[in-house]
Amino acid sequence: MPASIDFARLYDDHAQALFAFLLNLTRNEADTRDLLQELFVKLARRPDLLSDVREERGFLIRLAHNLAIDLMRRRGTRERNHEQLAAETPNPFAPSVDPDERAFRLGLAKALAELPPEQRAVVHLKLWERWTFEEIAAALEIPPNTAASRYRYGLDKLRDLLRPLYEEIK
Amino acid sequence: MKKSNDFDAMNLDDFEKQLERQPVRTVPADWRAGILQAAKASVPQTSASNSQRVAWWRELFWPCLQAWAGLAAVWVVILAIHFISAEPVEAVAKTTMPPSPQEIMVLKEQKQMMAKLIETFDQPAGEPPKPYVPRPKSECRMESVMV
Repeated sequence: MPASIDFARLYDDHAQALFAFLLNLTRNEADTRDLLQELFVKLARRPDLLSDVREERGFLIRLAHNLAIDLMRRRGTRERNHEQLAAETPNPFAPSVDPDERAFRLGLAKALAELPPEQRAVVHLKLWERWTFEEIAAALEIPPNTAASRYRYGLDKLRDLLRPLYEEIK
Repeated sequence: MKKSNDFDAMNLDDFEKQLERQPVRTVPADWRAGILQAAKASVPQTSASNSQRVAWWRELFWPCLQAWAGLAAVWVVILAIHFISAEPVEAVAKTTMPPSPQEIMVLKEQKQMMAKLIETFDQPAGEPPKPYVPRPKSECRMESVMV
């Protein structure tokens, strides 16, 4: 990649994926905006970070993940997230006119918020980025088996959490 | 969306597919300008001059890159030959043989001859010639009168 970064191209190619990932991870739109900007500012200050990168998306997701984890650690977010969840659940899914779909997406957003961030990150990348466990493992710097087990645990938990919703819809 | 009556929540594959179908929210359009502006404002000033410097070096060396590479390779070969052929100092010292008794005798004789020569040069060969001192004119006149 050249020394000067084409930020517009980089944004257009990856901002959507980074936004969805960060919103799912932070559960906060303002934090997502801050982290996305922080990521681009970091790249602007250190253009060499992208010089030897083969998979831009994977590298950017890793960077976003690290920034989000740093933010959560700084704030001690686990408790804060639960408090926030009680007040509002920012929905990482597109709005729908269908009431059943709307209810399902809201329920899914709440269920996702119950997952630990490490499971949520893997579940998001597997389900909504359609990544393989190897790709997820490379991006999150974990072994592929760990990625697979986190996904399975996460999916099981989501299914358990969403079971009452199905009963209700039924 | 599949309704609950035809969706088996216990089947993980179906559940997985159901989740995959949920579209995620799109990034707000008004974020783009602000984020890009912040990124561009954060580009350090030196990076532009650095890239110019790199471009200058590239312009200087790139056209004759093969020539530079060849020159470097030649130097590597020269250095390699130099290091391979050079003997270590200790090895050279060990390989030099001590002088033989005849050589020692010849050296002694040469030394003695040198000492004699130096002695002869040091001793005066005879009386040095007297420096010319002009006689007074009266003596010259006396000699001519006597003649």
